[in-house]
Amino acid sequence: MAKIRRGVFEVRVYKDYCKACGLCMAWCPQDVLAEDEEGYPLTPGLSQCINCKLCERHCPDFAIEIIPPEQKEAIDV
Amino acid sequence: MKLQTSFLLRQFLRPEMLPSTWCAGCGLGIILNAIVQAVHFKGLDKDQVSMVSGIGCTGRMSGYVDFNTIHTTHGRAPAFATGLKMAQPEMTVIAVMGDGDAMSIGGNHLIHAMRRNIGMVAIVVNNNVYGLTGGQTSPTTPIGGHTTTAQPGSFERPLNLESLARAAGASFYARATVNHTASLIKMIERALTISGFALVEVISNCHVLYGKMNEMAEASKMIAAMDEDTQRTNPTLLRRGTLPLRLTTPSAPFWEEEPLPTEGVTEEQRTWRGVIIENKGSIDFSERYYTMLDEIKVKREESEISYG
Repeated sequence: MAKIRRGVFEVRVYKDYCKACGLCMAWCPQDVLAEDEEGYPLTPGLSQCINCKLCERHCPDFAIEIIPPEQKEAIDV
Repeated sequence: MKLQTSFLLRQFLRPEMLPSTWCAGCGLGIILNAIVQAVHFKGLDKDQVSMVSGIGCTGRMSGYVDFNTIHTTHGRAPAFATGLKMAQPEMTVIAVMGDGDAMSIGGNHLIHAMRRNIGMVAIVVNNNVYGLTGGQTSPTTPIGGHTTTAQPGSFERPLNLESLARAAGASFYARATVNHTASLIKMIERALTISGFALVEVISNCHVLYGKMNEMAEASKMIAAMDEDTQRTNPTLLRRGTLPLRLTTPSAPFWEEEPLPTEGVTEEQRTWRGVIIENKGSIDFSERYYTMLDEIKVKREESEISYG
C-alpha cells in the first residue's frame, strides 16, 4: 500500500463560484477546512490534507480544487 | 480517479455561465460534474455528444456544458432526443430530466422512448419534489414526506421507476445517489456503452424546499441521510432491490411493496441502491427505423422520377 502523503497538496478555493453551502467542510475527514464568518471555506489545517478529493467530488459549483505538486504546472497554464 | 476541476472547466463547461443559478448545495452540480467526467472517461468527442434537457431546475443543466445542447419544452426531452437520434445516429444523446418532468408531465414520452428502445442515455434526477415551482408534491414524494401541498404528509404511493423501466422494456436501469459520486460516475459510464435506452435514476437533494419541511434543512444533512438510509434498508435492497430510498422524517409511516420478479437477476447486478438491469440481447429498434427511413427515401426518389 502506498504511503499517505501529507502537506504537499495545495487547496485552491475559487470564491467567484463558491456559494458557501458547507458541503466541503462537512465531508473533510482530516479537518483541513474551516469556515470563515461568511461561510466560505478556509484552510487552516492544510498540512493534514491527504488528497482524498471528497471536497472536490461533492462541490456542486466547481469551486474547490486539490492540486498535487506534480500537476501544478499543467493546471496553471 | 477524479479529474481536476480546472481541466473540466476548461474542456467541457462554459465558465462564463457559472456560477449556476441553483441553490447553494444543490445536488444538480454534483450530477453535472459526474456526467462531464463520465463523458471524458469514455473518450467521447464533445462535438459528438448532445445534451437535451426539459424544464425545471434540471433544465438549466444544458446551459453550462459545452456539448451540443437543446433546452426543450416541459417533459418532451425524450421526444426531442428521439428526433435528434434519428437525424444523427452516430451522436451520443444524453437526456436530462427532473422527476416531475420525466414521470408526470412527460410520463408518456418516457414510457414510449423506453418501449422503442431508442439509443440514448436518460438521466432522471429524483429529488422527491417539484423544486422550481415551490415545493409541490411530485410523483416520487415518499409516503409521509411533507411538502407545501401536502402539509400533514403525503399519503400517495410514490412511483418506482425501476418497475416502470422493467415493464416498458428499457435496456439498462441503474439507481445512484449524489452522495456516492464514484459509483454515480461509473453507472453513467456504463450507461454510455449501451446501444439501447439506458436509464439512470439519481437521487438528489432539495434541502431548500423538501428538506426544510422534513428535518433536513442543510444540504450536508440531507446528502448524509441518503447514506444512512441506504445502510438502514441495505438487507432489503440486497435481497429485492425494489425499494426506493425514503428521505422522510423518522416518524413517517413505512409502506410495503410487492417484490419484483428476480428471475434473470444475478448476484452481481444487485447493488446497495437497487438492481442494475442490463439486457444485452435487447433489440435496438433505432436500427430498424434507420433502414425504414432509407427505404422511404428511395421510394420517394422513385415516385418523383415517375411523376416528374
